[in-house]
Amino acid sequence: MNEEVRKESGRSGAFIISARKRKFQKIAKTAGESMLLLIASFVAIVVLFIFYFVAVDAIPYFQLRGFSEFFTSSNWYPAGEPGEFGALAIIYGSGMVTLGSTLLSVPMGIAAAICLSDILPFSVRQYAKPIIEMLAAIPSVAFGFFALVIFAPLLQTHGGPILMWVWWVLAAPFLLLAAIVIADLITAKIQDQNSRERMSKVLLAVFSVGALGFLYWVGSVLQGIEILTGTNALNVSIILSFMSLPTIVSVSEDALQAVGRDLREGSYALGATRAETIVKTILPAASSGIIAAVILGVMRALGETMVVWMASGNSSHIPDPWFNYLEAVRTLTATIAGDMGEADQVTGSARYHVLFAMGLLLLVISFFSNLVSERIVVRQRKILSGQ
Amino acid sequence: MQMTADGRITSQKDTAKTASRDIYLPSERKTIAGGGTPHVVAKDFSIYYGEFEAVKKVNADVLSKYVTAIIGPSGCGKSTYLRAINRMNDLIPSCHTTGALLFDGEDIYGKFTDEVLLRKKIGMVFQKPNPFPKSIFDNIAYGPRLHGMNDRKQLAEIVERSLRKAALWDEVSDRLDKNALGLSGGQQQRLCVARTLAVEPEILLLDEPTSALDPKATAKIEDLIQELRGSYTIMIVTHNMQQASRVSDYTMFFYEGVLVEYAPTAQLFTNPKDRMTEDYITGRFS
Amino acid sequence: MNVGTRKILNRSFTAVGIGSIVVMGIALLIVIVPIIYNGVGAVFFTGTIEHRNMLYNEFGEGDEAELAKQNAAAGVYRKEVYAMLAGFEAELEAMESERQQEFRSKYGSVRNALTALMGPLPGDTGAMLTRFKYGQTRWEKAEEKLHEFLYEAKWDYSDPDAMAKEYYVSRAAEFEGTSLVKIFPYVEKHLEEIMRPEFTIYLGFLTDSSVDSHIFGGIWPEIQGTFFLAIGAMLFAFPLGVIAAVYFTEYAREGLFTSMLRSANSTLAGVPSIVFGLFGLAFFINTLGVSESKSVLAGSLTLAIMILPTIIRAAEEAILSVPRTYKEASLSLGSTKWNTIMTVILPAALPGIITGGVISLGRAAGETAPIIFTAAVSVGSAIGLADVFSSPTPALSWNIYNLASEHEAAAEIRHVQYGMVLALVGIVLLLNLSAILLRARISKKLKG
Repeated sequence: MNEEVRKESGRSGAFIISARKRKFQKIAKTAGESMLLLIASFVAIVVLFIFYFVAVDAIPYFQLRGFSEFFTSSNWYPAGEPGEFGALAIIYGSGMVTLGSTLLSVPMGIAAAICLSDILPFSVRQYAKPIIEMLAAIPSVAFGFFALVIFAPLLQTHGGPILMWVWWVLAAPFLLLAAIVIADLITAKIQDQNSRERMSKVLLAVFSVGALGFLYWVGSVLQGIEILTGTNALNVSIILSFMSLPTIVSVSEDALQAVGRDLREGSYALGATRAETIVKTILPAASSGIIAAVILGVMRALGETMVVWMASGNSSHIPDPWFNYLEAVRTLTATIAGDMGEADQVTGSARYHVLFAMGLLLLVISFFSNLVSERIVVRQRKILSGQ
Repeated sequence: MQMTADGRITSQKDTAKTASRDIYLPSERKTIAGGGTPHVVAKDFSIYYGEFEAVKKVNADVLSKYVTAIIGPSGCGKSTYLRAINRMNDLIPSCHTTGALLFDGEDIYGKFTDEVLLRKKIGMVFQKPNPFPKSIFDNIAYGPRLHGMNDRKQLAEIVERSLRKAALWDEVSDRLDKNALGLSGGQQQRLCVARTLAVEPEILLLDEPTSALDPKATAKIEDLIQELRGSYTIMIVTHNMQQASRVSDYTMFFYEGVLVEYAPTAQLFTNPKDRMTEDYITGRFS
Repeated sequence: MNVGTRKILNRSFTAVGIGSIVVMGIALLIVIVPIIYNGVGAVFFTGTIEHRNMLYNEFGEGDEAELAKQNAAAGVYRKEVYAMLAGFEAELEAMESERQQEFRSKYGSVRNALTALMGPLPGDTGAMLTRFKYGQTRWEKAEEKLHEFLYEAKWDYSDPDAMAKEYYVSRAAEFEGTSLVKIFPYVEKHLEEIMRPEFTIYLGFLTDSSVDSHIFGGIWPEIQGTFFLAIGAMLFAFPLGVIAAVYFTEYAREGLFTSMLRSANSTLAGVPSIVFGLFGLAFFINTLGVSESKSVLAGSLTLAIMILPTIIRAAEEAILSVPRTYKEASLSLGSTKWNTIMTVILPAALPGIITGGVISLGRAAGETAPIIFTAAVSVGSAIGLADVFSSPTPALSWNIYNLASEHEAAAEIRHVQYGMVLALVGIVLLLNLSAILLRARISKKLKG
């Protein structure tokens, strides 16, 4: 039958190739794809290499000096004879500026992400996004320069008044809002409409006066503060928060966008305001994506080198008291950057290897945070797609 | 249940449901435009998406140089069947086939088939016009260049010939270097036809080519199909039964993956043998 | 809660959201505006005759005759000053030894202040460093130095609890009763004639090399080094990244291995930049030995692996956004998969890929930490293209740090630092801006 058709059509086999050619094609295809695979695996190979080479240079330090000094002592005298390599204060400093920047950037970043995804109309959003992208694009050394040359002298000369103004601008609206809400909640039980309103007004006045007093008191305390050095943990925390904001905003915005319209419409249909819809419905649904965003933002702050190197004061001690953000600190990244210049002349020494130990610490932390944030994102995607 | 060289075509349904039946084509049909030789032959041909059998054991001959329309409700497998003919379904990883689909007597899914050479012989035009974001000239010349033609003069000839065949030459001859995305939807679709013709295929597969077009552009495409009939074997999937009746010589009706009826178009629309076909063409379901 | 309160809460919620975006905008402005304002001052400023002399002597720029005329005009007033100095020196010789002792050291600091203002004085020994050969080249600096010349800064330590306070003592008062007392009002009155300030556009700031570690001259070696490093990084990372993206989008079968590769990609994206520096030092220089010590090559390789994940992600997104119909059309015309990728998919994805590449280029240009140990030196002249395999280079990012934090005269050359920061931020933001515009054009094109 096939033969018959073939004879009739007379053009048979135009797309049939010989077994040899087929084999050749297969080999070429496999070879090509393996090449591509090899190049695609390059990234994975690089990651393994980074771990290996940093670890290989870090391990000799622990062999030479053991673990306890590194993690428990805060005596950092690498150039001494014999050198001391207590990194506790440095780890603490890293933690401190990271925490500080997170406290500033997370609330602001999430608020900005909500604003971008749910509040601003599309036309405005188009202009808001480039602001965030530009903030992300500015090189870290430019931020460091700003922190060192402009911000630090400003803090040093006008620190107290600046703190006071920031306190007033940030705290006044929130305290007023709190007064309104508390007055409302307390009077909610009163049945009679008129007396409830009167009572609520009285309470509001009382609370407002109290809040104003509190504001003024804290403000005057802040104004009296004299900042001895502008290159301190506060300066660095503020600048780092600018730098991690873009990451937090864009990843959280993605998470918020991933929550579909149905959920929003469902909530509005029940009479919720926009704020209530977002806080009670959208944020819980997007929570894991937002947590991932926060982790990425924290990593950005922890891994940043230039700003902390230039503007943290590089003083290896735990501030006194421990939460004093107005003192100079030193971080892991800045120590690696700053000490390598002297240490790499003496490649074999503990002084060289201890910097790799710090690098390994950063690497391990970033690896696990990344793993966690990735897991969280995958889980959220699964939950949202209903699996 | 086999096709024969004299043009008898059988279609087979799931045997559990209905008995198979034979449809005999009127003998005069065979002689139009150079004889009705079978061009694409399906033998117990099934297509699966994973476990799901999307096209079920089709047995049919598509005759050379005729226009064959494929109709049926959405999701009946008609597009899947069409795309199987030039192996576009290969793009879907879970897709596989059983049975045999022969083109010029050779198995399209055979071990030694080169799908690239195959697709050169079997061109396809898609639902939505999909010109490349290149100039009109480069769009048409894309295929010939792929197959090793680089001479500018010859390419220009091919471009002109293809555009003329697709009845587009008069409209675009003065702006061949302009981006093809600047053409209207109907022009884009005819450009896609011209682009396919430029590689000189034997079969032209049209997958609902007018579904994204307005009535005027649709009419032009239909005219074009009339022009091309007799030179190419044309298979067209369409939702529009008027269109099928206007442009085709033969019509296949698919329902839930089964080729229910396959007959000369006039016969299928005026005197359907199957109750299901009748229900469909009279609009009782869609 | 009653409805009124809920509405107030709702509005404040909106206000907080908009407020945080506004704060971000303000933060951007606060950082950018002083950098632009002061950075522009590195090129556009009021320059003194010392600037023109420096340009003529060090770079051979300027009109010799015109300069000689200006020098002669300024010389008239300068000679007066020198005469006063000479007169006082004669007077000093004639003093009794105790008074002489007292005035000699005061006179020494006056002379120093004057040298800093208007350049070497007659009787000064030949200057070792170029910076001592010229007075103040910028008018605002000259005014600062004039103040230092007129008043001596002293510190008040009287209150042991508070920080010491600075206060100023007029030098004229200290020389009361000597012939030198005339010099102070004279210089103050005739500063313009002595220094001859003129509005200057010093475009050479971008194209000249530096003189005496950036006290004078321009930042060309840094700009060139930044370009070498960034473009070198792209040469490695861009092809690799695009090919990897092609693999991930067109060839990879979803499975454990592919998801591990993807995971490696995001891990690499999260590695702190300083760790890349450590890796570059330990691997490229100490292990592979691509160069003896720091080199542009080692720095470019290190930057390349840093920007690789960004390029892969951007390229993947760009490829995935190419309509699938293009691929179908090409395949149906008898094109092979590889051919389709090369002739249809990549060209269509190219604008998106380039956008990602441009942003990565900006990132490579702006990064500092990875090149500290692998490529950057603080002082140096521009290197030739042939030297990139073996020599290190100055680079904008590193030299901003270095000039601002480690230079011995950091406070004297703020204008150079600002100029460098502006050059770097300008390069990076221009790259990003062009990427944003490119993207806007693509989305417009896709809309038709």
